[in-house]
Amino acid sequence: MNTVDFDYIRNFVRDQAAIVLEPGKEYLVESRLQTLAREENLNSLDALIGKLRADPKNGLHRKVVDAMTTNETSFFRDFHPFEALRKSLLPELMARRAQERQLHFWCGAASTGQEPYSVLMLLAEHFPELLQWDFKFIATDLCGKVLARARSGRFNQLEVNRGLPAPLLVKYFVRQGAEWEFREDLRRRVEFRELNLVKDWPCLPLLDIVFLRNVMIYFDVETKKAILANARRLLRPGGYLLLGGAETTFNVDDAFERVTFDKTSCYRVKQA
Amino acid sequence: MIDLERLIEQANELAPLPASTVRLAELVGSPDCHLEDVAELIAFDQALTVKLLRAANSAASGSAVPVSTVQEAVTRMGTAQVLALAVASGARPLLQARVPAYGLNEGALWRHSVAAAVAAETAPAFCQLDVPPETFTAALLHDVGKLVMGRFLSPEILGFIQRAHEVDHLGQLEAESLLLNVHHGELGGLIAQHWNLPPRVVLGITYHHNPDQGLDVICDLTYLTNQVAKRIEAGLDGRKFDLVISPEVTERLGLTPKTLNNLCPIAASRYTQVSRRYNAV
Repeated sequence: MNTVDFDYIRNFVRDQAAIVLEPGKEYLVESRLQTLAREENLNSLDALIGKLRADPKNGLHRKVVDAMTTNETSFFRDFHPFEALRKSLLPELMARRAQERQLHFWCGAASTGQEPYSVLMLLAEHFPELLQWDFKFIATDLCGKVLARARSGRFNQLEVNRGLPAPLLVKYFVRQGAEWEFREDLRRRVEFRELNLVKDWPCLPLLDIVFLRNVMIYFDVETKKAILANARRLLRPGGYLLLGGAETTFNVDDAFERVTFDKTSCYRVKQA
Repeated sequence: MIDLERLIEQANELAPLPASTVRLAELVGSPDCHLEDVAELIAFDQALTVKLLRAANSAASGSAVPVSTVQEAVTRMGTAQVLALAVASGARPLLQARVPAYGLNEGALWRHSVAAAVAAETAPAFCQLDVPPETFTAALLHDVGKLVMGRFLSPEILGFIQRAHEVDHLGQLEAESLLLNVHHGELGGLIAQHWNLPPRVVLGITYHHNPDQGLDVICDLTYLTNQVAKRIEAGLDGRKFDLVISPEVTERLGLTPKTLNNLCPIAASRYTQVSRRYNAV
């Protein structure tokens, strides 16, 4: 891939989704976009980039951004944050909101749904009464294609092997041919929507927990600042922000303070 | 980049292990495993009976007193060794194959598998915890996913993986995950599931490169045995290979730099002794 084409794609995905591609990532662009070129019946990567340049708003631009988005995810990813939810965050928030019996969660990089569904399973296992509350779980992602898969609740054997304990698989999933389908009554509790974290955010309710795990790593500092400021405005007093293990608000948005639960760091807005 | 559905299909189409081996794996993995049950099961499998008696009476078994019954042989070798022998016997034809995409000539994957199994056999004396009996089987089969993954790694994909190594210094597992959305450990776990092997064997195989994610000591042990196997092979080839075990795994297994240094030569010596048993030389 030549430098001109690489720079074009770099700038394109940066403008569209704030994804940062460092020099040297040509191999990643080639590997992801060659697959897309084949799917689009184009005979080369050059042809794909040519088509994109000729008319950047012909629908292909969305597919290019989708192809360049990393959708790595798994059930109960990193394990410890879910232990923190079970042992500390949820009991604390449920006690705080016991009067109004209302809790709102948002997962901002839901990918194919493993994270929101993991939380739903945790609630069903340990806090089933919460599902009788005014409980809302909004799950968003940039990519419409992965959201469609998330809504279907269907996972292949490799996906259910990633982090999902066998007893939960049997209890919450139904085998559908070669796939496993997440139980419909729980699936309905998640509202999936498209949302690009780096564009204007649509209306979201005030939130008790914001999951923005393993997504900030793809952004530059200015983008991180903007996203954290938006998330901060949506958090209710005492609400929590959960980031990935390699992510922090430190030196990015110091209006947050870190709260540690065993091996998990969470963040909440500092009280004046 | 690759068709995951086809990959899963091919993993599920690998020839199954013999039914008696699968039953044996279930027995050995169960908390109330009795030697009598294991012996009874093996007695119905003539080929395995012959192999077991031969192994129990070999010089490597360390006893001058011959055994003549299956029960005696099982008692002498231990259930885990017996299972390793059965799985080795069933999986050997598969693991002998060439896997050019991973630079493995005919027999190379098998030798590596046996070296890892021998490391699993040696590890209990050095680890400060109970080594699960399924460790031997997980170690022996830890790279079985390469058999199927190798069929999908075209020269173009191999080129991208190579560049991920060079540019981003990614290991094999990270490069496969980034570029293919699946790695050979996960695929191996899928094959072990298809073979109805015990869940802990599946876990050990799946997470043999990233044991922190497996949340089970068998993942730590399978990771360790893979590294020790590489060291054994490097020693035999006269290559230098620094054994680097993650501090988290070292701590969880109760190992120290000294015990790790002691483990390797003992495992290597044991490998030389037993590799004939597994036809690995």
